[in-house]
Amino acid sequence: MNSSPDRRLARTFVTLADTLVADFDVLDFLVLLAERSAELLEVDAAGVILTDQRGGWRPAAGSSERAELVELLAAQTREGPCFDCVASGKPVTGADLATDTMQTRWPRFAPAAINAGFRAASAVPMRLREQTVGALTMLNHQPVDLDVTTIEVGQALADVATIGILHHRAASRGELLAEQLEATLHHRTVIEQAKGVLAEYGNLDMHDAFTQLRRFAHAQQRRLSDVAHDLAVGALDPADVTDQPR
Amino acid sequence: MRDSVPGPTDNTGPAQGWSVAPYLQGKLINLAPEHLGCRCVGVEVRGVVDGYRRQRLHALLVPNGQSDAGSRIRRICDLCVSEVEVSGAGATVLSEIREPGGSGHRRGLVHASNPVSAGLEDLQLTVGEGPCVDAFAAGGPILIPDLAADPTRWPAFGPQASALGASAVFSFPLQIGVVRLGSLDLYRDRPGALTSDQLTDALILAELATHAVTDQLNGHATSDVTWLSDPHVEVHQAVGMVRVQLGVTADTALLRLRSYAYSHGMPLREIAHRVVTRTLRFDPNDEPT
Repeated sequence: MNSSPDRRLARTFVTLADTLVADFDVLDFLVLLAERSAELLEVDAAGVILTDQRGGWRPAAGSSERAELVELLAAQTREGPCFDCVASGKPVTGADLATDTMQTRWPRFAPAAINAGFRAASAVPMRLREQTVGALTMLNHQPVDLDVTTIEVGQALADVATIGILHHRAASRGELLAEQLEATLHHRTVIEQAKGVLAEYGNLDMHDAFTQLRRFAHAQQRRLSDVAHDLAVGALDPADVTDQPR
Repeated sequence: MRDSVPGPTDNTGPAQGWSVAPYLQGKLINLAPEHLGCRCVGVEVRGVVDGYRRQRLHALLVPNGQSDAGSRIRRICDLCVSEVEVSGAGATVLSEIREPGGSGHRRGLVHASNPVSAGLEDLQLTVGEGPCVDAFAAGGPILIPDLAADPTRWPAFGPQASALGASAVFSFPLQIGVVRLGSLDLYRDRPGALTSDQLTDALILAELATHAVTDQLNGHATSDVTWLSDPHVEVHQAVGMVRVQLGVTADTALLRLRSYAYSHGMPLREIAHRVVTRTLRFDPNDEPT
């Protein structure tokens, strides 16, 4: 890597570290991480899935909320690089999903990804001590062989994501990770409910609804999860959040 | 590795058509990458292993097919004791949904496997603090393997819970995003953390309890048990949309969606998809178009 990506990388880590303070919002952090991962790794899309601690995996954040990426992240909780990655605890790369090998390995995911416009997909594990708690996935519109450096940087970003879930609270209790993982998935559900409120009120697609939700939270300096909660329970008027006139 | 033991019959999960050797059931397996290309090992095996715990608990819950929600919740409390290995389990669940403009207090029904658990449910409501209250504030379970280790956390609840006989408490909110349906609270009479399998089982049982409460509130049971464990999010988005369309609470929106799915004989997921893609709207003045 030349120095310009190094500077961007360093700035990204500083930004992520800055978010690890009071008023920290884990989902906002993971969305930021997914967006920055896509930029830094020079891939077209990135996403994070987390364990639901009951045998399955759930999408937690993506570099975009466009339906095709959202669907593909959900699909990766059952088959694909993320699924293989969390099973093995090691990075998994799929340089060209159109090949016979990939179509055989991932008979549902590979065609779905290609249909969604992605020809390459990889994943690195999010690990804490001996446990794999999730994965960071990278997707590309063109076939691409991610080099070792990219995978290493991806792994570093995934490690930051894992620490972010524990954030600044002392990890003296082993239960803390289990509690935080469940709470993260709960906040994700609330965000989906809030997206529905904004999408209906402003006649928006889900990606735009999420963008406006985040923009409002940042502008008001409120936690993303709190704004989502208030929208979903009716304590916050969607008219105040969207910039669409009714 | 292929065997004739049938896999779970969940027709939406990854386990369809896969099988696993009996000695692998219930175990998590670390796999080397070179194994992952083989259809006989690896991904499929893990998929069946993952679905196994849920299928097993669900089968234990309704062995004779009865689905009265109240008795299901009581049975879930009993299963917590036997499967999660706790001394007792209690649940306080909503008996009626909130209406817009309604009071903040909602009536709840208490189910408990023993008098100590019933006492703990009562205690949390009386003192207004404790793991159940914190669980809703935090958005997730509160797991306390040793109550005595942090006596300052709940100055009213802590000592009284210990006096009742609780040394460890584990509280699981029953919720679907902002839709709050109750709480499942487990205790042990000796300190001790849940193992990762016990945590998995407790989370699955909490999910089954959430199903039972929504069935109770809807007034009908549904055979579609995957909509909570399904990673697709359109159900939650549809709740938000219908909330605005009808001008009701999220709780009511969820129940209306479920009622519509039930009366039309379609999975909730499909109804949610139609709402999100705007081919189905809920109108406050008449039936959905």
